[in-house]
Amino acid sequence: MSATLWFNSLTWLVWLAPFAGILAAGVTKRQDPRIEGNRVLRHDTAAIVEHWTHGIATAVLLVSGIALGVLFVPALVGSGRPLWIALDIHFVAVVVFLFGTFYYGANTMLALKRLREHLPTSDAVEFTKRHYGLLLGFKKFTMPPERKYFESEKMAYLMAAATTITIIVTGFVKVAAHSLDVPAGLMSIITPTHDVATVVMLAFILPHIFFAAILPSSWPILRSMFTGHVSLDYAKHEHAGWLAELREADEQGHDGANDDSPIAPKRVA
Amino acid sequence: MKDKGTTLNPRSSEPDKGKTFSRREFVTSIGGVGIGAVLGGMFVSSIALPDKVFAVPASGGYLLVDTKKCAGCTSCMMACSLTHHGETNMSLSRIQITQDPWGKFPNDIQMAQCRQCPYPACVAACPTGAMHADPKTGVRTVDEDKCIGCEKCVNACPFTPSRALWNFEEKHAEKCDLCEGAKFWDEVGGPDGKRACEEVCPMGAIKFTKEIPVQSEDGYETDLRTGTVWDSLGFGGAPQSGGHLG
Ligand code: SF4
Ligand code: SF4
Repeated sequence: MSATLWFNSLTWLVWLAPFAGILAAGVTKRQDPRIEGNRVLRHDTAAIVEHWTHGIATAVLLVSGIALGVLFVPALVGSGRPLWIALDIHFVAVVVFLFGTFYYGANTMLALKRLREHLPTSDAVEFTKRHYGLLLGFKKFTMPPERKYFESEKMAYLMAAATTITIIVTGFVKVAAHSLDVPAGLMSIITPTHDVATVVMLAFILPHIFFAAILPSSWPILRSMFTGHVSLDYAKHEHAGWLAELREADEQGHDGANDDSPIAPKRVA
Repeated sequence: MKDKGTTLNPRSSEPDKGKTFSRREFVTSIGGVGIGAVLGGMFVSSIALPDKVFAVPASGGYLLVDTKKCAGCTSCMMACSLTHHGETNMSLSRIQITQDPWGKFPNDIQMAQCRQCPYPACVAACPTGAMHADPKTGVRTVDEDKCIGCEKCVNACPFTPSRALWNFEEKHAEKCDLCEGAKFWDEVGGPDGKRACEEVCPMGAIKFTKEIPVQSEDGYETDLRTGTVWDSLGFGGAPQSGGHLG
């Protein structure tokens, strides 16, 4: 534990992390999803790095943030020394979170197709009804031809993105308050907003962990978050719409998934 | 969507003619320039800016207490808590009166009030500027909205018990603000107003002054007795050694 809070002594790392993420995206060569025999490349290394830096840091931020005390929840670490430790842990997670989030944001800017595949389509309500109806055991429903991301995930994505932006903007003000004289009136808005966004983020991450890691049917997708690949059978069953897009792109010699891709995806090693 | 400006063609990897900057180059430059700006800023500030000088204006006033006059009734503590928090909770009072049941007069009572130090260690220790000197009155006080609860101020105050206190109910630091922020009181507080503890003390053991009192490790050299009936009891005059002062 540091004698001075890292939020005070190492503030510059907080400002550096977003630019490091942006620069890393600038020099990253992405690979687009493609069918490789009986498996499908779903996530390239960059996507895996984005996911785990953002995800693990979010989890640590939530745990340390809640321990520090959010709205309606008493500060679990009390005050004084335990609070300094929680704040230093929060600091490290902030730096990783900013790197991962800005890395993702810049990568997305470089290939807006990646953003579009995260946005809900007009099929959102219908597909979600069928998908979860089937999951809950209603025989009358059939698996909809979901694309790369389930329509339900895409709706959650929009709200998670708004929450992330809120947390980052309010967090930046909170960090700035360690070196600038931020008016107390502004802080009285910023802190509760940060807290509310934290609670909303928690409401996202818990179902996400359940549906993406705990539910056995999601284990192939969890594995792909480490290996990058899912089996062709899995893709056929769960993401028929996406597979059709990949096949179509394959036939045309270009999948169109990454506008910034320097060479055709088929030829990416 | 295609890059604006020069872009690497997905098929050819040849830049389009007549355009100057690809989106990738733009993003990479933002990252590079940003990192350069942050590191450059750190370097410049480390060599070009002078070391920070910690300077705060003097407080607009000071509370003087005289333990020899204090009867230990704790009216001041209840008044402090009531005017600041709307409840009579001794633990929320910013002035603390402690009594030693085995102590002999005049060493049986300690009155722990904030000294509004010329060099306030609590202000210097605060990482967020929550503990600060009010720009108008100089009173050392806490912006609760900026307090992150680190208790650095509580630890930094050189006096025991610390005059920077932890509000265990609302989870932030608090300290004597000379009633500047006594929101449950309909009187005007602060150096130019009234102080609740001073108002209620039945013994006249608390007084307010705008002059910086002489401060020793034990407290201010306070005598609120001379010229009163205390003279005839033999307790008037300058502080006597051993007698704990404000
Ligand atoms: S507890 Fe609050 S007022 Fe005291 S040093 Fe920490 S942030 Fe500043
Ligand atoms: S809280 Fe302690 S350090 Fe701060 S002004 Fe009061 S006596 Fe001085």
